[in-house]
Amino acid sequence: MADTVYQPYADSNQTPHRVEGYARTFTRTPDSFVERPVTLTERTGPLAVERRLAVGTADFTRTSPDGPRAQGPLMLLHGRVVDEDNNPVAGAMVEVWHANASGKYIHEDDGFNAPLDANFTGGGRVVTDADGRFTITTVKPGPYRAGPASWRAPHIHFSIIGTSWMDRMVTQVHFPGEPLNDFDMLLNAAPDGTPRESMIAHALPPRVEAGDASEFEHLFVVRGHAGGGRGG
Amino acid sequence: MADPSVWQTIGPFFPTRLAEASCTDLTELRGNPARGTRITLSGQVLERDRQPVRNAVVEIWQPDSEGLFAHPADPRAASADPHFLGWGRCATDANGWYRFRTIMPGRRADNASGVRLPHINMMLLASGIMRRLTTTVFFGDERAGADDPVLAAVPHASRGRLFARRAPELDRVTDEAYCFDVLIQGDEETPFFLD
Repeated sequence: MADTVYQPYADSNQTPHRVEGYARTFTRTPDSFVERPVTLTERTGPLAVERRLAVGTADFTRTSPDGPRAQGPLMLLHGRVVDEDNNPVAGAMVEVWHANASGKYIHEDDGFNAPLDANFTGGGRVVTDADGRFTITTVKPGPYRAGPASWRAPHIHFSIIGTSWMDRMVTQVHFPGEPLNDFDMLLNAAPDGTPRESMIAHALPPRVEAGDASEFEHLFVVRGHAGGGRGG
Repeated sequence: MADPSVWQTIGPFFPTRLAEASCTDLTELRGNPARGTRITLSGQVLERDRQPVRNAVVEIWQPDSEGLFAHPADPRAASADPHFLGWGRCATDANGWYRFRTIMPGRRADNASGVRLPHINMMLLASGIMRRLTTTVFFGDERAGADDPVLAAVPHASRGRLFARRAPELDRVTDEAYCFDVLIQGDEETPFFLD
């Protein structure tokens, strides 16, 4: 019986499990999947996760409120989390991580030959407001080499814990007009048209209030209809 | 109407500090102990050819000791344990091991989903996993689970792979230990759900 709130992701608007040129996707994908009913365990999820996950500052460009800024172009990203019917998801836990302006992550596995930046925190956590909105202050990430002949275009990773097991989301947000967007393996693994375009943030017109920061906005759509896990 | 955003891998650089050790212990919340029997649930995440997957993230979600969820979708939410979040996260170690300390989930017979055996939902996130992989870990006797709608959806031959095994060799002083290895791909792979 099909669930009215949560349907399986459609392959037509999601990246395939196996991506040509990305070897690990071939050793980390099951040979088969089992259809399962959506039960109460799937319709529910942890609420107010900030009781467990420490939420710090939404400014990733310095390690103390009056400390020096990280290097690179200052930017604001205004995000909004909604369900498939455009209902805001309030109280969602949004986790963010990305490379610094030189394309280097704070991670022991990152072998890219670029400098760390002592003033860049690498990301953090924010919680959406009643309208599903959040804003992060950061520096625009740089591109980086990800393989012998493979580069990642500038992108920011997002992980969202909403209101249920089913509306969990992990995605990446790219920037408009980047020359490397045409060659980014993961961006281009998404289906042509709307799905791929939906992974690219929109630049906002300059305004006085933004000060030294450029501004982008992005819409995150999590699975579910009309109230979803809230029981509506 | 809009389609869900496009899922992506967490990649190889998920920050270590976003998988804090405190997320592996579900037996208390803000210093208040949860109700129920303390258990540990641990296991090894393996990819094709049974190679360990390090630097992966395992997340779990489960009902409390009575089978209840502190969530508005559960009609019995008011009775749920206020000191049990039910959610945890653990990064795998160099040999692909995860370990949670949690509460034995309760059996539940009164909900619209039918009889649910004690169970914990689990998802895997890692470099090379483009969309999360989801499965369910069951506790108890497979033969008692015929009425569980999720277990019933799994082919008979592979149901046994969804049961955690008692692992007395891993018992700690106050916890019963259970082991659940996750084989992502290959013969005898763990059943994963179409998500």
